[in-house]
This record gives sequence, C-alpha cells and structure tokens, in this order.
Amino acid sequence: MITNQMALIRRELWEHRSIYVAPAAIAVIMSLVSLAGMVTASAFDNEIRMAILGASNIVGDAERQAAMTVFFLGTSWIFLFTLAILTVFYSLDSLYAERKDKSILFWRSLPVTDAETVISKLLTAVVVLPLVAVAAIIATHLINLVVTSIWISMKGGDAGHLIWGSVALLDNWMAALIVTFASAAWMSPFIGWFLFVSAFTKRMPLLMAFMPLILVPLIELIILRSSYFAEAVFGRGGMMPLFRGMDMHDFFDEDNMAVKEELIRLLAHLDIVQFLASPSLWAGIIVCGLLTTAAIYVRRYRDES
Amino acid sequence: MTSLVTASNVTKRFGDLRAVDNVSFEIEKGKILGLFGPNGAGKTTLLKAVLGLTDCEGQLSVLGLDPFRQRKELMKNICFIADVAVLPRWIKVTQLLDFIESVHPNFSRKRAEELLSQTKVRSEAKVRELSKGMVTQLHLSIITAIDARLLVLDEPTLGLDIIFRKEFYGNLLNDYFDGERTILITTHQVEEIEHLMTDIMFINDGRILLDSSMESLPDKYFELMTSGEDADKARQLGPIFERDVFGKKVMTFEGVDRERLAGLGEAHTPSVADLFVAKVKGAAA
Repeated sequence: MITNQMALIRRELWEHRSIYVAPAAIAVIMSLVSLAGMVTASAFDNEIRMAILGASNIVGDAERQAAMTVFFLGTSWIFLFTLAILTVFYSLDSLYAERKDKSILFWRSLPVTDAETVISKLLTAVVVLPLVAVAAIIATHLINLVVTSIWISMKGGDAGHLIWGSVALLDNWMAALIVTFASAAWMSPFIGWFLFVSAFTKRMPLLMAFMPLILVPLIELIILRSSYFAEAVFGRGGMMPLFRGMDMHDFFDEDNMAVKEELIRLLAHLDIVQFLASPSLWAGIIVCGLLTTAAIYVRRYRDES
Repeated sequence: MTSLVTASNVTKRFGDLRAVDNVSFEIEKGKILGLFGPNGAGKTTLLKAVLGLTDCEGQLSVLGLDPFRQRKELMKNICFIADVAVLPRWIKVTQLLDFIESVHPNFSRKRAEELLSQTKVRSEAKVRELSKGMVTQLHLSIITAIDARLLVLDEPTLGLDIIFRKEFYGNLLNDYFDGERTILITTHQVEEIEHLMTDIMFINDGRILLDSSMESLPDKYFELMTSGEDADKARQLGPIFERDVFGKKVMTFEGVDRERLAGLGEAHTPSVADLFVAKVKGAAA
C-alpha cells in the first residue's frame, strides 16, 4: 500500500513536471529580479552607503525585523498564489489526461486499485504541491539573503547585523508551512471538486469545473433570492479562521513610538487551535472526501470505450 | 483439466442493447485462444468483462476470482495489451520499468531489460519518441517479463507493418509462451495467428457462433468445391454457407459426414477466415 502510494506519487511528479518546475522558475526569477535591483541601485553609490549607515545606526531592531518580515511575506504570497494556480491545473488534469491519451487502459492493467490511484492524486495536490511551495519559499528566502548579504558587505555594511540578525527565519518558515498546509486543507473541497470533474468530464475540464460555480449561485439568486452557495464558494478563501483579528493600531506602541516587537512574529498571528476547531474546516474536508470517493467511483465504473 | 476462465450465462447490457448475450465458455490452461468477431460483435466488451474493467451479469470467474470485484488481485496474474497506443506518451522507458517494478510483484526488471536490449528501444527514450512498432516491442517486452498466467491481447498489432507483426507473434511464441501460460487474443488479421492458436471462438451479435479446438475443426467443418448437378445434390445436405469462386460453388458444411459428399467435388478444410465468413453470414441468412 505504502510502496504503491510512493510509486504513484513519484509517477505524478514525472508526468506533471510543472509541479516543481514552475516554483523553481519563480524562485530563480525572483532572485534575478532582486539581483538586478541591487545592480541598478549600485549606481547610487553614496545614497546606498548613507542608507546602510542609517539602517545600522538609527532604525531599531524591531523596525528592521518588521521590514524584513514584510519582504518575506511578499515572497511567500507569490508562492502561495502560484500554488493555487498549479493546484487547479494539476487536479483538473490528473484524471482527465490519462483518459484523453487512453493510457488509463495501461494503468488499469497493473495491480493498482482505482482508489489507490485517485488517492495518490489527492495526496499530490494536498501534500506534495504545498511541500514544494514551502521548499521554494525557503530556498528563495535563503538565496535572497545570501545575495543581499554579499552586496551589503561589498558596500561596507555589516550584513551579519543588518540582515541575519534581523530575520526571524524559523518564525517565518514555520508560519509559511502552517499557512500553506492550512490553505490546502481549507480549500480541499475545491480540490475534491476538481478531481471529480477531471474524472467525470468528457471535455474541457477547466470550463466544466468553473461553469457550475458561476451558474449555481446565479440560479440560486434568481429562484431563491439567496446567495448561500456563492458565499460558501467565493467567500471561503477569505474566511479561513487561521488568522487572529488584526488591528493596525496594535502594531504601534504609541507611548514609545515603536513597533511592538512581539507582533512582528508571524506565528503570533496564527491561531491553530481556532483553525482546527472550526466546523467549516471539517465540513470542507468531508466534502473533499465525498467528491474524491465519487471520482474513484467514476474511474472504476465508467466504461471508457 | 484446469479452467482459467469460466463464464456461464454472461450478459452485458448497454441500455436495450445486449453487447454480450448469455455467453458461456471455458478457457483451459496452456491454450492460445483466438477470439474473432466483426466490429461491434461484443469481443471487446467480453474481454473487458474478463479483465474486470466492466461489470456484467451472470457468473464469470477468472483464475478463480471475480474479475470486477477483485481486479487488483487479478492483475497480479493477468496482463493485457488493449491497443498499441495505450502506453503513456510522456513517460521514459526507465521510468516505466521503475514504476512497474514497484507496483507489480511478478515483474522481472532484468528480464525486461534483456528483452529490450534486443530491440532498438533506448532506455532513456520517451514513449512519444518511439515508433509505433517500437512501442509495441516495449509493451511486449514488459508483458513477457511479467510472470502472468493469462495474457489478453486485443488487436495487439493494429496499425503495424508486416515485419513488426511477424516479429511480434514470433517473440510472443518464443519468449512468452511456455505451455504454462495462456493467451486470449483478438485480431482482424486472422491468417496471422491461424497457425499459432490452439483454440478458436467466433462471436457475433454478442453470441458465440463457434467454440472449438483447432484440432477438431477438420472433423466438423469442410468446404466442397463443386458445380452443376453435383452442386444441387450437395445443396440438399444443407451447407451452412455457399459462395461463388471462378464460376464454381464453394459450400461450407458443418457436422456432415465427408463420405456422403464423396464424388460431388473437391473437399478440403476451410481456412479460418473462410469459416468465419461462412459462420457469420450463414447465421445471418
């Protein structure tokens, strides 16, 4: 069972190379962009030196850390966005491509059940893709830190103090890991839906997946004059109960006119218990389970000829 | 005798259409059974039922298993080639071997590599880079390297040129078939497998028209080439089919004593292709 799963997931990585090629390409592009930025900035030699000097002396640790965290967050969001797009395309293709090229007949000639196959595709979407995204986030952070350090050192700054001393790497990476996997779990009903459409549709999986998501709310609005479905579907992304309420005023300790240090830690903003206790999360996971079961059923029972 | 496949009253409906209609047969170990039928006769549906790819009514047992419900177990001991195009085009030969090695308990990678080394298939090539004939060689090498008890081939040589086709059946007999293994094969190119099969089955409109060993065919069937008055006399003995060849009549008889037709013309055993036409057209008439 486990050996089969490993072999099946490895097969997914062979077939869908974009799972790791796309994040790697983005990591490379982002590193090149920041490198290009430094090269351009190098034209303003004096200003840079002044800024480094200023950063070294004036700005407090908390502010510097806040600035780095914002930069890190930006990178992470880009990968999360990439992950979302990759997941949609991967899961829609996963059970459709094998029917289109008829290789399903070959796969089914091997001693692997339909359930094992479909589950390997689900696991690829909810575990492997997020793992790759987190790895890409960490790699991009490290590359950028190293490149920036070298550059700052060349300009006479103290990179150890300015950069490495200012980043809460583990805090950032743990937060990225939690947010990435929580997003995958939270959005899993969509992944289940895409797998089902991928197993079911005869053509145009992308259209077949999104059309009902637009038509059903429209019909509900016209007939029932309500919008529960639309809220459940389109509102879901914004409702993830992982984040604590955030008030920008809390960030500043107004008495001392400084950023509150404990709030810079990203983990402080995540509430894992609240997330795991959310009925909405589990309802979503159940929907994902049901739709995956439906996908297994379709792969097993439908006659492809 | 050990039966590998036992079917009794197997039926598969698609709505009102009975693609397989109340079919019963057995396949014994060590046989090479050729299954023939016109397009849409129910061949592929029957094979799918045997392979557990489709559910059906009636009792069907393959290697003692219910093929549809115990498919995973079954696939450890069955191999099939449905059509040459089914190997995924994106995969590399080595990846294919890696994957099968990790999911198939009866696959010998060493054997597959030995067999492939005799072909032009490079291990680093992707399936899409191979010619159709090479893909078939690859598929056959894989299947030969699986220690399976039953091999099912559905039109395995479709679209291949004559050299690859000859080679395919040559390799099948030399490398795969050892008397312990059993082969079930369908093809339109009857004459190519006529000399290698041990048993033969015709199917039309979902029903079995003929189920016989090759050995006993000459006892049951023969053709008589005749003309004129002799033809009228022969016709009274009830040929199942009659056709014209160069102004003469060729009649196919089933279960009629050859002695009774002695002197009425030239008698010989029909080729499988001719017998097939006679049975299908005769049944339709």
